[in-house]
Amino acid sequence: MNEMRERPNLNLARINEIIAHYQDQKWGLIPLLQKIQEEFGYIPPESTQPIAKALGLFPTQVQGVISFYTQLYTKPQGEKVVRVCRGTACHVRGGKTILKLVKQHLGIEEGETTPDYEYTLETVACIGVCALAPNIVIGTNTHGRMNPKKVAQLLGSRKDAEQHARP
Amino acid sequence: METITITLNGREVSGHPGMTILDLAQESGVDIPTLCHDPHLPPVGACRVCLVEDEHSGALLASCVTPIAPGMVISTQSPRVQERRETIIKLMLASHPDSCAVCDKGNRCQLRKIASDMGIGLVEFQRIPQLATVEEVNPFIERDLSKCILCAKCIRACQELVVEGAIDYIHRGFISKPATLNDLPLEKSECTFCGTCVALCPTGALTEKEKTYRGTTTTIVHTICPFCGCGCGICLEMKDNHLVRAKPDEDSSLNHGTLCVKGSYGYDFVHSPERLTNPMIKVNGSLEAVSWERALGLVADEFKRIKETYGPSSLAVFGSSKCTNEENYLLQRFARCVLGTNNIDNGSRLYSSASRIGLRETIGFPGTTNFLDDIEQSQTILVIGANPTSSAPLVGYAIKRAVRHRGAKLLLIDPQQTKLASWAHLWLRPKVGTDVALINGMAKVIIDEDLLDREYVARKINGFEVLTTGLRRYTLDYVAEITGVLGQDIRHAARLFAEPSRASIVYGNGMTQYVNGMGSVIALANLAMLTGNIGHKGGGIYALQRESNGQGACDMGALPDFLPGYLGLGEGQARKNFEDRWECYLPVDIGLTALEMIDQAREGKIKGMYIVGENPVLSFPQLTLIGQTLASLDFLVVQDMFLTETAKLATVVFPAASFAEKEGTFTNFEGRVQKLRKAFEPTGDSLPDWDIILKLASRMNYPMTYSSPQQAMDEVEEVVAMYQGNGYTDVEIKSQHRAEFDSSPLATGNIRKRQFPNGFGRFSSVEYIPQRENSGDEYPFTLLAGTTLYQFGTGSRSSRASRLRKFSSEAFVEISKPDAKSLGINHGDKVKVVSSIDEVTAAAKVSDAVSQGIIFMPMSFPESPINRLFGIVLDPRTKTPVLKTCSVRLERTGNHE
Ligand code: SF4
Ligand code: SF4
Ligand code: SF4
Ligand code: FES
Ligand code: FES
Repeated sequence: MNEMRERPNLNLARINEIIAHYQDQKWGLIPLLQKIQEEFGYIPPESTQPIAKALGLFPTQVQGVISFYTQLYTKPQGEKVVRVCRGTACHVRGGKTILKLVKQHLGIEEGETTPDYEYTLETVACIGVCALAPNIVIGTNTHGRMNPKKVAQLLGSRKDAEQHARP
Repeated sequence: METITITLNGREVSGHPGMTILDLAQESGVDIPTLCHDPHLPPVGACRVCLVEDEHSGALLASCVTPIAPGMVISTQSPRVQERRETIIKLMLASHPDSCAVCDKGNRCQLRKIASDMGIGLVEFQRIPQLATVEEVNPFIERDLSKCILCAKCIRACQELVVEGAIDYIHRGFISKPATLNDLPLEKSECTFCGTCVALCPTGALTEKEKTYRGTTTTIVHTICPFCGCGCGICLEMKDNHLVRAKPDEDSSLNHGTLCVKGSYGYDFVHSPERLTNPMIKVNGSLEAVSWERALGLVADEFKRIKETYGPSSLAVFGSSKCTNEENYLLQRFARCVLGTNNIDNGSRLYSSASRIGLRETIGFPGTTNFLDDIEQSQTILVIGANPTSSAPLVGYAIKRAVRHRGAKLLLIDPQQTKLASWAHLWLRPKVGTDVALINGMAKVIIDEDLLDREYVARKINGFEVLTTGLRRYTLDYVAEITGVLGQDIRHAARLFAEPSRASIVYGNGMTQYVNGMGSVIALANLAMLTGNIGHKGGGIYALQRESNGQGACDMGALPDFLPGYLGLGEGQARKNFEDRWECYLPVDIGLTALEMIDQAREGKIKGMYIVGENPVLSFPQLTLIGQTLASLDFLVVQDMFLTETAKLATVVFPAASFAEKEGTFTNFEGRVQKLRKAFEPTGDSLPDWDIILKLASRMNYPMTYSSPQQAMDEVEEVVAMYQGNGYTDVEIKSQHRAEFDSSPLATGNIRKRQFPNGFGRFSSVEYIPQRENSGDEYPFTLLAGTTLYQFGTGSRSSRASRLRKFSSEAFVEISKPDAKSLGINHGDKVKVVSSIDEVTAAAKVSDAVSQGIIFMPMSFPESPINRLFGIVLDPRTKTPVLKTCSVRLERTGNHE
């Protein structure tokens, strides 16, 4: 994965500063992780070792906690998160096709982020507006009754995305 | 003690506070199935298989985590318990793969066993598809996590027992599983392949790889690991005279369910096709198989001839720190009574004499003062000149447990970055060979700042004045100048060691294989005595022992200057007692140490040698010379399992049985005498070393009438004070008893309650002796020699252990990045290491672990025998050769292919 290299401003010094604040406090792991994510938008994998060392834990233990909470990310997230619903109602009304189109437009797979860090693609279970299925959420806005045209409208400006797409 | 009474399945039973329901049930003979519980692990209560019902409250309780409480009425078999337990097991089976039926774990699978005990066969739940086997190339462990029931035993074993932390759960829910960092294969993780997790896994999720045999084993033999001096208890699982598997001995009060990779996966050298199966005699330059009759006859005749022609002191015997106590006892008797010479020494000369002699002079006892368990009570642990995570893994585990789980502080003194460096509270990197100055500097701070245990020093130890006078010049500035360690760090270290009431010292060959290694040992003993850290819980001296029986071989008198039990040759009454008992005259003159034998052989004064279980052609310094000298002897007899480099030079080779084919005892580094048990009959015509020695003695008309090793040990008990009450038959029970009750007689070597065996300890002052500086431009690098976890000794056994060989078979030379850069050496390049004596080649390993100007090389690789580089330089007092460091230069010979 090459996103490591292109990741915007990974400020290791700042990470170490945050970590130092929680030195030797085993219980401090979760607040520490939240703090890092708050500032960086995700928890850079480079921080696992220093966090473990500072808190007297094994890196595997830190990884265990990060991977346990779905709201903690190990990759940088795009500015906007696109969530495609894969709940039952959306599914029967073509949610799968919508997902495929979104992927094409963004040039990424589920769980990935566009190289320019604008979008991250996720899928979610029912978001509670089944009547409008199929649904997608972009950032905080819900878009109902999706169809190929609407997908193109919403994400169309990224026509060239395919060129950026990683193999 | 307070007791708590509960009703268990209708019967009243009592236990003490703190017991769990499970503990009490087991004690009362009531069986409760468990999956995630193990006595060595902290309880988690994860699987719920151990459910019981409290009939008062109707609550279902996990018995392994619920403490007993007065008045409980517990049923382990109520219908509700049965029903719930059945559901749990069925759910587990439902997510189990179909390959369960052909799983190699077979009857050892606890899940399968519980299911069949409960009559659960067909599982009506819908099967849940599961994760597949993890692709791994390591030759030790196979993971099939589709069979994982998430009991977390492996994770707890790895984090709590061996403290590697290689694995933990990743993700949650259905996809949760134990994983390494970034979910990589084990060989790309921190895993050291200790096998502890495999032994504990209740299902087929973790199994050993490269099985030699599939199916059920028939016998289990409890014995002792043949490699390092920790002396772990192992269980050998046998099938048809074939060793199939080795596991930690659950009952050992020493290793608590753990082993290292050598104990778990290094045993199969015993079945190596290279095992010697016949005696051999050299005819026209090549060795030919002959009968025992002929081989013994020839040796007896030749030894007699040499003795008669040149006198007894033209013969020498070199015994083994890998052989049992009994064998060493018989061997020294053979040398003294049959050959008539005190020219007997053993392999531990190469590494432990400094320790043995230095400790005897100070604390009055030649070895480790405490049991290993005590170290976990230490507040500070000083590790110096030792890399226990590779040379004595069990000690490494204990140190890491103390730091991680008990808040102990590690004070590491090592020029090289060992694995323990990341665990250290304070890590000092003195210049190579400056230990004495550094320790003296610490001692002076302790005295100057009044951090010593004044009362103890006044009452129990002589020579305080001598010490203070001797330390006068070791000011911080002076010591900093010599060692290159900052004065403030030296002060910090001294306080770290002296301020808490319980501090321990662990040292190893990094100290004892130097010139003046004994000085370092004495300096350390001073430190321990000053602070009162001798033989009390959490405070003591741990002298690591390279080989399984280094201490025992010396205790048994396989030494040129001592009879068994360190009785001096000059002690009239002791001598007389032995002479009466053995019905022979004992030679009076002190004999030759190992390297002196070589020296005398070169001068033609030693004509014949008998080498038992040692491989000097690889283990001594200046190998080329050693080889030439041994080859030039009139008569050389070598007794070994393999045709070692030394055996190849012999006129007669006796094939010896392995550790698994004989009985006897080993004394571990703590002084614990432990029993070796026979698992199968000796391979081919090989014989146990003790038997060969007895046969040879008889052939030389001096029958030593012992019918078994046990009889020899019975005698040892009578003549060696330290071994009294070791009672061969219940050795292990007694050693456990001692560990528990802290009331040992001074038997196997533990100084208890800060009492010195002679009543008093003795301070001596030791001086730092500057080493010759690096010989300028020609040899600009300092070579440090050390151990690696995956190989052992000279490699004669570990390089024939198939899995160890596969995993780690190539020697390397570790070099710092700046040095590599300036020499144009890349990782993997072939490099020639040249000293003023000789040269070897190895692959370069560019790393941060060594400082500029220093290179590190492991021993134990027969293809790159680094001892070749060392000249023969003996410590004047201990006659230990320097095998730790010398000056070298590096040359690149080829690129990495
Ligand atoms: S791999 Fe074995 S020991 Fe580890 S959690 Fe799974 S079943 Fe338990
Ligand atoms: S083999 Fe040892 S180090 Fe490796 S995962 Fe298992 S317990 Fe941990
Ligand atoms: S620590 Fe030593 S005794 Fe224990 S298993 Fe490893 S090599 Fe054997
Ligand atoms: S299924 Fe998509 S919103 Fe409910
Ligand atoms: S054995 Fe008690 S919960 Fe697993």
